[in-house]
Amino acid sequence: MELHSSKWPSIQNGKSGRHICSLNYVKMEDGESQLLSDEGQTPEPLLGSLDIFIFSLIAGLLIYWFLFRKKTEPVLDFKTFPAVSPPIPETSFIEKMKKTNRNVVVFYGSQTGTAEEFANRLVKDAHRYGMKGMAADPEEYDMSELSRLKEIPNSMAVFCMATYGEGDPTDNAQEFYDWMQGTDDDLEGVNFAVFGLGNKTYEHFNATGKYTDKRLAELGGKRVFDLGLGDDDSNLEEDFISWKEQFWPAVCEFFGVEATGEDSSIRQFELVVHNDINMNQVYTGEMGRLKSFQTQKPPFDSKNPFLAPVSVNRKLNKGGNRHLMHIELDIMDSKIRYDAGDHVAVYPINDAVVVNRIGERLGVDLDTAISLRNLDEESNKKHPFPCPTTYRTALSHYLDINNKPRKNVLYDLAQYASDPQEQENMRKMASASPEGKALYQSWVLDSERNILAILEDLPSLNPPIDHLCELLPRLQARYYSIASSSKVHPNSIHICAVVIEYTTETGRVYKGVATNWLKNKEVTENGHKHTVPMYVRRSQFRLPFKPSNPVIMIGPGTGIAPFMGFIQERAWQKEQGKDVGETILYFGCRHKNEDFLYQQELEEFERAGVLTQLNVAFSRDQEHKIYVQHLLKKNKEQLWKLIHSNNAHIYVCGDARNMARDVHTAFYEIAEEVGGLTHTQAVDYFKKLMTKGRYSQDVWS
Amino acid sequence: MDSMQSKPREATGSDLSEQIKAATKDSHVRAENTQLMLSYQKGQITPTQYKLLLCSLYEIYQALEEELDRNAAHPAVQPVYFPQELARLESLELDLEHFFGPHWRKRVTVPAATHRYTQRLREIGRNRPDLLVAHAYTRYLGDLSGGQVLGKITQKSLGLSGNKGVLFFSFPGVTSPNRFKQLYRSRMNSIELTEQQRRDVLDEATTAFELNIEVFDDLQKMLSITEEASSEKGNDATSKTLSKTFSSSPVLQFALGVGITLATVGMGVYAF
Repeated sequence: MELHSSKWPSIQNGKSGRHICSLNYVKMEDGESQLLSDEGQTPEPLLGSLDIFIFSLIAGLLIYWFLFRKKTEPVLDFKTFPAVSPPIPETSFIEKMKKTNRNVVVFYGSQTGTAEEFANRLVKDAHRYGMKGMAADPEEYDMSELSRLKEIPNSMAVFCMATYGEGDPTDNAQEFYDWMQGTDDDLEGVNFAVFGLGNKTYEHFNATGKYTDKRLAELGGKRVFDLGLGDDDSNLEEDFISWKEQFWPAVCEFFGVEATGEDSSIRQFELVVHNDINMNQVYTGEMGRLKSFQTQKPPFDSKNPFLAPVSVNRKLNKGGNRHLMHIELDIMDSKIRYDAGDHVAVYPINDAVVVNRIGERLGVDLDTAISLRNLDEESNKKHPFPCPTTYRTALSHYLDINNKPRKNVLYDLAQYASDPQEQENMRKMASASPEGKALYQSWVLDSERNILAILEDLPSLNPPIDHLCELLPRLQARYYSIASSSKVHPNSIHICAVVIEYTTETGRVYKGVATNWLKNKEVTENGHKHTVPMYVRRSQFRLPFKPSNPVIMIGPGTGIAPFMGFIQERAWQKEQGKDVGETILYFGCRHKNEDFLYQQELEEFERAGVLTQLNVAFSRDQEHKIYVQHLLKKNKEQLWKLIHSNNAHIYVCGDARNMARDVHTAFYEIAEEVGGLTHTQAVDYFKKLMTKGRYSQDVWS
Repeated sequence: MDSMQSKPREATGSDLSEQIKAATKDSHVRAENTQLMLSYQKGQITPTQYKLLLCSLYEIYQALEEELDRNAAHPAVQPVYFPQELARLESLELDLEHFFGPHWRKRVTVPAATHRYTQRLREIGRNRPDLLVAHAYTRYLGDLSGGQVLGKITQKSLGLSGNKGVLFFSFPGVTSPNRFKQLYRSRMNSIELTEQQRRDVLDEATTAFELNIEVFDDLQKMLSITEEASSEKGNDATSKTLSKTFSSSPVLQFALGVGITLATVGMGVYAF
């Protein structure tokens, strides 16, 4: 084990610092004895006694100096925000804020440092909006002073609160939490906002964040922006970013503050126009390596998708006004492997018509080659999307132009509206005021206005296209549950999807990007094959390990997708001579003769004895609605026996909002009615099934 | 073949996943409360400590994963064999390279307890592969639970940006640790074991925890001895307060300075 003195500058822990200090101490001691022994060995009186006296005086002073010079104190406390650390420990955050001229304080309830990191980032953001902030550990301050925050003009307290274990606050926020519970202080005039860090797999999701938000309002505090709920099981970082992107415009509106007070809004990137660039150097839709679409090299993943040819594209429904499709992607020679239950991710392209119209509306040549370079040179994110590229490619492949723009986009673009009324409306919609929120809800959300619609309906709005490109979110890959089994179709991945298309209040037609793009990839006899950039994302949605294990699959509508794969695999297992257990499917659709997906295949499987039970609910074929959960209740005895005595695995796929919940309720009722459990016991029973991997869900909203 | 369909099952308690959790509960608490882990949870992990821990983890996972690979087709291993999602060896090698440079292999140091642990893993892999699941459960499910928290703490304590040096804690093949654990448990529960084998698995799981605890304790001892050797014991209160007093009191510093100067002068004069 070595201790290098080169560690000296980077010490972060006081203990290590002392290690190094004492090592040097040892070295100096050696040096000192070296000096003395040198002197003792001088034979001739080269030096007179006065010389020796002076010499030893100097030596003594030097030794003293070496030993006790001020060691640069190692940075002990990584908790303190680097730019702000007054030497005297001040327990009054109010005093500290006044002394250092700050008007925003961001408290963090943090265990692993994430909430603390978020707090620091918010402090950094504050600066961009003309505010001075500081991050603070509630454990280090007297939180009962919160009511004094109003002494500071235009002040605000933000809370990044993580929830732990059974809905508990983090250790450093425990005192604050207790104070909140016990106090009856009046927090009138105290402006606040809360972002909660939690995890949806825990029962008391974000309990601490929710409580903080509720309690501070109860005590009279003024909520500047809605509670943000981050989910670590999904994507905490994304949740945080979406929340704060809407938070800051609301804050600006609340305080009547302009983003920086300057005319131009704060840009993160600068535009570089490439007039003479070699088109070989320009991105044309790749996600990672340039030319990765031309020369395809495995392994294929999110940065390097495989361009899979579309080998089948047929309509699944026989009637009705929707379009349900079955698509097969050829993955031959890609070395891509998958398992039934996995997801396939595809990178869609925006509608060319919409892209062109944006170009026309903004009066720009979309084929200009450009780059957007990050003004913060230390940032890891050099460009918002692969650069250099053209506006056309950016708007087609990299940017989301179809979804309703978020509030921060409206806020940042408002400066480009020359008509004062239009500008005011844009700013209002970005604010947290009740009328602003209502206006945003109706004008943007309910009317389904995308960026093109907004540009067309606000004629005085003329943003530079590069700023728009900076503000629009990235176009995300779409995930579909794979509808095939790799044992049966090793070189083909099947997709079952419904094309999203409907007319909005404004008379505009909303078209889902990916599904419409897929729909148009028709397979022709002689024509060139359309390709789909894709990759496989492994899931944990799997058939039981033992083929003999019974399975109960519930997948109405397009939720049937992974079960086509499951059933194909069970058929294959049967062919292999394995003992295959009960294979039960619950499917639901609107009309038997319209959208009974895969009817032929399913009835064939039923005849072959692979699908031991096919239950279908046709919701609109009679007066009253019949859904899968009703069919489940009908078979409650059989189901309970399979679940309780035969180790059946339950799978639910499809709509998250209603269906999954209704199915859950049906199961509780079955456990209560047939199993004789109380409701609490039933809830616990199925929770245990989930923990043991016997109740799996692949649901989407 | 006796079909699984007719075999009755109790509502709870007969699943391996539940039994193993109950059987190792106490050991789990003891492991959390070792000196090393307590310091770790408080964020008091130094680069030295972490590097030493990585060395032991490397040898442990090398043994575990080689034995799992060799026995992949064994009926008690196959259901829980998830190399794509779980394998740690490559990440550990990258982490070690990050800290020790390209010749990291020569600098791997491990205490006796780690040797005992790897020996046990080899023995189980050779003679009782049906018990490997006990070791896989203990390490991997731990990595996917509390291990995730430790990963974040390590990142903060060592001031690391990004993943460099803490790749061990990240599982890119697992989108949701929670869902994966559920799948893993269902796989554990599908392993067919006789009553005796089941009891052996539970015992082996407790053994696995013990081996981990002994490694933590040995590492703690190693680190303490090394700290002593550099004439500063991490736990020595007196030398801590002494050096603290020196560096914080200017009067004491001056007095000592004068004292040393006089002493040196005196000795210089005396010598002549």
